[in-house]
Amino acid sequence: MRATKHDELVATKAWDSAVMRRLTRYARPHAGLFVKSFLILLALFGTQLYGPWLIRGAVDGPIASAQAALQVDPGADVSPWVQTLGWWALGYLLVVAVSSGLRYFEVAWLTRTGQAVIHDLRTALFRHIQRLQLSWFDKHPTGSLVTRVTSDIENLNELFTSGLVVLIFDLLKVVIVLGLLFSVSVPLATLVLVLTPLLIGVSLVFRGGARRAHRTVRARLARLNGFLQEILSGIRVVQMFRREKLVSGRFTDHLSGYLSANLRTIFLFALFYPIVGFVVFGIQGSIVWSGGASIAAGSLTFGEFLFFWFLLQHLVGPIRELGERYNILQSAFASAERIFDILDTEPVIASPTRALALPRPFTGHVVFEHVSFSYGGAGGTPVIEDVSFEIPPGATVAMVGATGAGKSTLVNLLLRFYDPTAGRITIDGVDLRELDLATYRHELGIVLQEDFLFSGTVRQNLELGRDRVDDDTIETALATSSADELVRRLANGLDTEVEERGATLSTGERELISIARALAGEPGLVILDEATSSVDSGTEARIEAATHSLLRERSALVVAHRLSTVRRADRILVLHKGRLREAGTHNELLAEGGIYARLHAMQFSADDRSAEAV
Amino acid sequence: MSRLYVFFLRFLRHRKRLAAGALCVPLVVLCDIRITVMIGDAIDRLRTNDDTAFLPGFFGLLLVVAAAQGTFRFLQRWWIVGVSRSVEVELKQELFDKLTVLSFGFHNKSRSGDIVSRLTSDVENVRMLLGPGLMYVLGAAVMVPGSLFVLYRISPAVTFAMSIPLVLVAVSMKVLTPRMHRYSTAVQESLADISHRAQENFAGIRVVKGYGLEAHESAGFDERSRTNRDHQVRFARARGLTQALIHLSHDLAFLPILFVGGMAMIDRTIQAGDLFKFIDLGFKVFWPVIALGWMAGLYPRALASAERIDELLDEPVDIRDPETPRPLDEVRGELRLDDVAFQYPDAPTPALTGIDIEVPAGSTLGVVGPTGAGKSTLLNLLGRLFEARGEITLDGIPLKELSLETLRGAMAYVPQDSFLFSESYRENLSFGARRTLDDEELATLIERAEMTAEVAAFPAGYDQLIGERGVTLSGGQRQRSCIARALAKDAPVLILDDALSAVDTETEAKLLEKLRGAGQGRTVVIAAHRLATVREADRIVALKEGCIEAQGTHDELLERSEWYRATWDRQRMLEELEEL
Repeated sequence: MRATKHDELVATKAWDSAVMRRLTRYARPHAGLFVKSFLILLALFGTQLYGPWLIRGAVDGPIASAQAALQVDPGADVSPWVQTLGWWALGYLLVVAVSSGLRYFEVAWLTRTGQAVIHDLRTALFRHIQRLQLSWFDKHPTGSLVTRVTSDIENLNELFTSGLVVLIFDLLKVVIVLGLLFSVSVPLATLVLVLTPLLIGVSLVFRGGARRAHRTVRARLARLNGFLQEILSGIRVVQMFRREKLVSGRFTDHLSGYLSANLRTIFLFALFYPIVGFVVFGIQGSIVWSGGASIAAGSLTFGEFLFFWFLLQHLVGPIRELGERYNILQSAFASAERIFDILDTEPVIASPTRALALPRPFTGHVVFEHVSFSYGGAGGTPVIEDVSFEIPPGATVAMVGATGAGKSTLVNLLLRFYDPTAGRITIDGVDLRELDLATYRHELGIVLQEDFLFSGTVRQNLELGRDRVDDDTIETALATSSADELVRRLANGLDTEVEERGATLSTGERELISIARALAGEPGLVILDEATSSVDSGTEARIEAATHSLLRERSALVVAHRLSTVRRADRILVLHKGRLREAGTHNELLAEGGIYARLHAMQFSADDRSAEAV
Repeated sequence: MSRLYVFFLRFLRHRKRLAAGALCVPLVVLCDIRITVMIGDAIDRLRTNDDTAFLPGFFGLLLVVAAAQGTFRFLQRWWIVGVSRSVEVELKQELFDKLTVLSFGFHNKSRSGDIVSRLTSDVENVRMLLGPGLMYVLGAAVMVPGSLFVLYRISPAVTFAMSIPLVLVAVSMKVLTPRMHRYSTAVQESLADISHRAQENFAGIRVVKGYGLEAHESAGFDERSRTNRDHQVRFARARGLTQALIHLSHDLAFLPILFVGGMAMIDRTIQAGDLFKFIDLGFKVFWPVIALGWMAGLYPRALASAERIDELLDEPVDIRDPETPRPLDEVRGELRLDDVAFQYPDAPTPALTGIDIEVPAGSTLGVVGPTGAGKSTLLNLLGRLFEARGEITLDGIPLKELSLETLRGAMAYVPQDSFLFSESYRENLSFGARRTLDDEELATLIERAEMTAEVAAFPAGYDQLIGERGVTLSGGQRQRSCIARALAKDAPVLILDDALSAVDTETEAKLLEKLRGAGQGRTVVIAAHRLATVREADRIVALKEGCIEAQGTHDELLERSEWYRATWDRQRMLEELEEL
């Protein structure tokens, strides 16, 4: 029984300079990209302002002059002015063309920049997670780890592509546009300056509401879909208990919750845009009103008025988006914090800085010397207490014992998933803690309970990216484990895709493949945890044969669930509550007359009966 | 088209709100155009004479029109988008109800991810097009001719010239939207790939670390991350192109306004205020046109989604009540299977063949066999979750002639996956009883399922939430809870699908005793991996590759089936070990 916490839902602040500094470190290698993006943004903004400025020039220049000339002499020749107007128009065309080109680069480069940083960060995070010890994985559910390398990273992407750079730039835009407005007309600009806080206020007030509303919609949608998923996976129970109406009613409840959250969002957005629109109309109207006198008096030219009008568009946009940018920052910082949390976790089990090389040739001589272990460290309740035994090169040591006797823990210790709290384990005479982890583990062949196959082809599962595995070793491994027949039966042989859930391979067949996988690496030391599931007799016989090929002439530590495996072992360990109760060969243990002898006697009578039956 | 029309009919169920919303659309547009015209006229008035006295009145009127525009704009969105959300919810409900009555055969062959996506993204695609999409189209349908009409009256030539970029942008949007959709799908897929890879790595970390594959795995992850990055950049380029085209056409619309309009201004055929109207309406007419192109691009996707939704709605319900169900008031619980066979659709070989079994009322039948021999399938046939070939009868009546209510009402069922709902413990047990159980009844059931100690430890007692958001139960606790749920339904037939595998042997023996004794004469059908579970059964059937290998009592099977004997010996050794 364990209560799960929802750390994803905790909101944090919108600015955290410590986190920002660390993020900058990831951005620095791509500083060139950032500079380029910023220059593109700058150039784009320049052209955006230049276009309206040209329109203003044309209106106040040739058009006004021609009009003035015509006013004086209705028969005047205006063709030179028309020609000039043509030049202005051509200039405008050029600016527009450049601006469109820049627009393309803006989107492309901003994304490129963000993605460059994101890729680095994501792979660094994954690499770091790979180095962490097994006990850390036991504490962190797979689902939440996946969220770290996907959604959280995506949030940071937002920060780089549409959050930070654009926010800084938007602020710059607002300042520049306000400056330009002042250069055109001080009184009108002052009016705008007084009225903009209204716009900012609306945007910021809306931000909070929109974020909360969106979050509610997302949460309720997730719950709705979760319920749907759950019902789909439990449809048998629903139908057998005839509770279709009941679950339909529950779904209705979820739907109405979802609908009301949605309606709230619709309400907010339906309100936000018209209000912003109204404020903008108000600003425009007051410009006409207060600027009216200047226009009438001719102190504000028509071109300037138009320029003003265009500039206003550039002011409203960034301010309207302000709230949205703020929200992006906030969720990005929350994600960054969670990511750095993981990056700050130091791996406990790692190769020592000056790792000893594995003595060659590797013989697989394992010695457990007074090994004790407890999950809580030195002070905790011991799971293993003072266990000593030896696996001589080429020998098979089988462990028997009840669930919780400590068999899996011994396996985990030999794999160095954990380090002993007392005592030591030596491999070919070297303390396991002083060996280079990767080279040591490359020597291992492991078959674990409910073994894990990765999605991909059967071949990829046999190779597992190990250098020493090639087509030859795979072929030999398949033949030795008699899995070749199974592979031949598959539609595409070795290149058949292994499906996640069963479909391609049955439980027994998966076990056979994982034995072949271990064989393919030509391991010097085998660690085998036999499966307990019952498979049909044919497959069972093949697994037994394959197991024996795997163990032949190799050092091996086996958690045995098959009597045949125990019998053929060179040495048998009987574990009970973390202690080694009996150890010796089959015959020695029989002579001892202890637990093993009792077990065997019971089994033996069963064998007699089967002999009679034949 | 007709397919989408059928969906549109669903919108018409809310015709009052929809009509009111639709009415607001032209009003918004008219106010919008009106404001431009007002300002343009004011500019002319200011430039031609020095009269500024009208300005306060002008400003007041402007605010009134702006307020009206805002109000209509709010209402159009509130009503139309609101209706689209209501339709979404109704459609989802209908789909859900359909899903609950579709046979288990359907669910078995479909991937739940696919079904969920029909209820989410497909419904969303259709909603987008018929809700907000229609609103934008309607807006454009008024805005474009409305503004062009106003402008045409001022200068046909300028109006004509500025329409060209408008057409350009609508066409390019229609062409570019599916392209963008393609790229965005590639991005989504590469993201799913990343998450899949990470998920697999974290779940299989023992194998990864055991073989020292960290570097190999990181390299694989790098590659996927890089693929995603490249897709993201490609998608950004497509987006960039679209953006560039939109803005190009937008800005180009002002070129004829500047040049042709400028010349017209010179020879006084149009006034300054008119030029302003061109510019301002140029801004306003543009975005509806883009939306129009965008909707046209979404159309094929919405159509495909509509087809997928229809497909689900039209899926035939293959297991249903007979026309005239045979009555069966007092169920004794006698089951008989006569030459029963079953084959999963698309499977090359039958899952079951030639099954003949008799289960007298009140007796216990054990079903055993290796993984994949057909145990669960056999049990599923009893509740008609699948339709069997051959004949299965309950108290002598073929299952097909009974109403589902009678048949399933006579059975209590404990599934293999010990499925519980993420609801309170009380609700989970009440699920079996068809009414909310009171504390006393719950206590009895929990006691019978050997869960008393565990439930007593729940922080919230009987109302403790189960699952991710509440407490997570162990496999054995889940199994015992499922048994309690089945017991809450006092049915004459009890079906247990390997439902005791995670319960220790001692508790199992106690539970089995209670299950049999609970209602004297209850028929029990129990599938199991652990042979000790069925040892006491009146009759045991050993399945092998879909056929009956042997049947009889435990002792008889020890003689008759090699598999049974070998498995029994092996399991006994394991059990013996456990009792050390």
